[in-house]
Amino acid sequence: MTLRRIGIVAWHVFKESVRDRVLYAIGAFALLLVAASVVIGQITAGQDLKIIKDLGLATIELAGVLMTVFIGVGLVAREIERRSIYSLLAKPLPRWEFVVGKYIGLVLTILVNVAAMTAALYVMLAWVAWTSPENVRLSWDAPALDPRLLVAVVLIQGELALLTAVAVFFSTFSSSGLWSVVFTLGLFVAGLESDDLRHFSDIVNASPLVTHVVAGIGWIVPAFSAFSDRKNDFVHGIAVPRGYVLDTLTYGVTYAVVAVGAATALFSRREFK
Amino acid sequence: MTGRLTAAVTLAGALAGLGLSAAVLHARDTRYPTPPATERLLYLRSGRVADRVMLSFDALAADVYWIRVIQHYGRDATSNRTTGRFELLEPLLDLTTTLDPHFRIAYRFGAVFLASPPGHQIGNGPGRPDEAIALLEKGLRNNPGDWIYPYDAGFINYFYTGNYAEAARWFERAAAMPGAPPWIAPIAAECRLGSGDRNGARHLLEYLETSEEDYIRKAAKRGLQQIEALDEIDQWQAAVERYFAARHVYPFGWQELAGRYPEDPAGVRYVYNQKTHTVSLDGKSPLMPLPDSLTHAVAKAVVK
Amino acid sequence: MTAIVHADRLTKDFFTGFWRPRPYRALDALSFEIPPGGVFGLLGPNGAGKTTTLKLITDLLRPTSGRAEVLGRPAGDVDARRRLGFLPEHPTFYDHLTAEELLAYFGGLFGYTGEDRRRRVTRVLDLVGLDEARKRPIRQYSKGMVQRVGLAQALINDPELVILDEPMSGLDPLGRREVREIILALRDEGRTVLFSSHILSDAEMLCSRVGILSKGQLVASGSVNDLTASGGRGWEIVVGDLPAAAAERIGRRARRLTRIADGRYTVDLAPDVRPEPVIAELAAAGATLVSVTPLRTTLEDVFVARVGARPAAPKAPEPVGSAR
Repeated sequence: MTLRRIGIVAWHVFKESVRDRVLYAIGAFALLLVAASVVIGQITAGQDLKIIKDLGLATIELAGVLMTVFIGVGLVAREIERRSIYSLLAKPLPRWEFVVGKYIGLVLTILVNVAAMTAALYVMLAWVAWTSPENVRLSWDAPALDPRLLVAVVLIQGELALLTAVAVFFSTFSSSGLWSVVFTLGLFVAGLESDDLRHFSDIVNASPLVTHVVAGIGWIVPAFSAFSDRKNDFVHGIAVPRGYVLDTLTYGVTYAVVAVGAATALFSRREFK
Repeated sequence: MTGRLTAAVTLAGALAGLGLSAAVLHARDTRYPTPPATERLLYLRSGRVADRVMLSFDALAADVYWIRVIQHYGRDATSNRTTGRFELLEPLLDLTTTLDPHFRIAYRFGAVFLASPPGHQIGNGPGRPDEAIALLEKGLRNNPGDWIYPYDAGFINYFYTGNYAEAARWFERAAAMPGAPPWIAPIAAECRLGSGDRNGARHLLEYLETSEEDYIRKAAKRGLQQIEALDEIDQWQAAVERYFAARHVYPFGWQELAGRYPEDPAGVRYVYNQKTHTVSLDGKSPLMPLPDSLTHAVAKAVVK
Repeated sequence: MTAIVHADRLTKDFFTGFWRPRPYRALDALSFEIPPGGVFGLLGPNGAGKTTTLKLITDLLRPTSGRAEVLGRPAGDVDARRRLGFLPEHPTFYDHLTAEELLAYFGGLFGYTGEDRRRRVTRVLDLVGLDEARKRPIRQYSKGMVQRVGLAQALINDPELVILDEPMSGLDPLGRREVREIILALRDEGRTVLFSSHILSDAEMLCSRVGILSKGQLVASGSVNDLTASGGRGWEIVVGDLPAAAAERIGRRARRLTRIADGRYTVDLAPDVRPEPVIAELAAAGATLVSVTPLRTTLEDVFVARVGARPAAPKAPEPVGSAR
């Protein structure tokens, strides 16, 4: 029963969020890639493939981040503001199932969007492969329709699932959408820098206290950089050990559980005036 | 459970979870350490592409890239790696200065970073003064009225390559630009001297004797005296050789050679070394040290 | 029989102010019971604490002290929620859904699937009269229709206890009559209905028992009959064609005599005077009887008396008659 109820809430979130966004996401993404490839073609010679892959992955990630943050922070907060939550919580739905259901629903939404954009990227790559002469194709260090790129997309999805957890966390206790967005994006940026924060002593010659504090922050903040630090390897066709990918995803899952768990704990104590 | 207990348990649980997450991440980094070479692929190699991509945030992006320049230089300067050192320095600097063509510090410090030779005494840098000069030339192109760029180019030659002729040309160019401080020209003169170009130096110093600044005139006068001394030393050295050619022995002292004790323009006697048969300035002469000996006498005198 | 709802010294403090939060006592040691069956009205002026009470019962708020029990379980218990329905004040739902989809969503949360769920949805939409609009998105609904959707979602699970917060607010007279009829139908089906209102005439028409709140305190509770039974207040007789002389004579026995128009009078009798002889006398004087009305204490009278009086210190409520 628990799973069914969570599934119902998740499906409801999915239906509400995914309606119009998929189309817009694909459309905008495809347009962006087309425009970019035209510009790129004029500037570089033979470097198109790498740049399209890089740009494609970056766009998927960025679009995903925006979607996650802007839908995510309102996920619970909006229901509270609109007061539609009153009738919902009177149903035999435990509060933790509500939060988890919301989370899974949004992850599902993002997943569909990411998949759609990835498909569009592959179409673009196929077109590049088809229109490039033989000698150019020989100079590529990875094939155009490289399946390894999908692993990079999987890591992006993992990153977005973690970001969703953070957004949902802020959504449960912050009633102001603006602050939630600021905090979530702030944590995202900090997380992108977490690698440098952890190795702060390499960069700046500061007192040991400062170094330790900053490094500590680097360990606590959700390490979004961990999902991208080998992104380039996928683009260049360099083999990435499977264990690395699994470890990274495990990290994401662990941290997401913490964030959603904390969100659940906060939400269970929440009162509704 | 009471509210407080629940809160404490939740907090403890969250902290434990964060600790567990950190442990997983650490385990991954330990099992699969990122090899340093592949860590640092620069995405935008072309400054012009970057310019277009950054839209209206060029200057901001330039700042970000400048920070990366510093990090990159600092990290490689203090590390023990031997391959791929500073490989990103020049491209990063190019990016930075394309995104913000008036980024003075990037040009200036960047040139110093690039020119610093390997070796922990000085800066442990890549030792590419040619790239440094190229960067400064770019700075001058984008900031045509700014004398600091040719000045720095002269400095790079002066300090890192030892190419005094080039340095002199750059310093002269700087000195000729509007707003250039008057003490650049004497430095140019010293460089001419150091490159062996006494006539050029003399010419410049004679012009500087007419300067409005008192200290410039003094420095110019001293420089001219030094040139005179150098000329005289050459002449006396030639006289020593002529003596030997005629008599097949070297003169014993000044009396034998000249019948008197010649003095340098500052009034101190020249020294004749009996063993090496060379003529030189007395160590206590106020004209010491001469530019020939690769010290920055004029510059020091002037800047004081 | 165990009470459907049991409130035991329920107290709720809210904290206002950011830097030095000060408590504001919204409910003060509220105790009452609602027996199964019948309609219980929670009455009081705006701000008295009615919605707060209902939210404490439905676990949307947690008490500062005291406790509430619903259907024999503590407030918020999941099994209790399975057997109740709740309509919040000014309800809002998911605009993009149709009534049918919303009910299917909520129905799914109860575990209803397939044909069973479809049947329930249809039944409850029929009950509230939204069958025609069931496939239109809720954002196109009028206020009355939204209220009806709210009622529908409160009833989808065949609840033993139906909790309605100001169910008539914002409805036109037609809508209010419909809601009244639904409430009575629910009562007739054996369910317990708890609703809050500041409109006393509705309560008088519907409720078998009431609780009156004022400034967070329960100032009266019990069956309506008991509360309004304290003293019939007499009789009011309206006659026409009464000659002035007779009016004056008979009027002396009345508490008050009011002349409405030529020949038309209102005779206000004190409770201890039987109306029959007076009517006979009036008839003998040639008057025509227009109406005879017993003057009872109304709920409004009770309300004004209890709410108007300001209690100096917190005290236990004084139920009138047998409130248990």
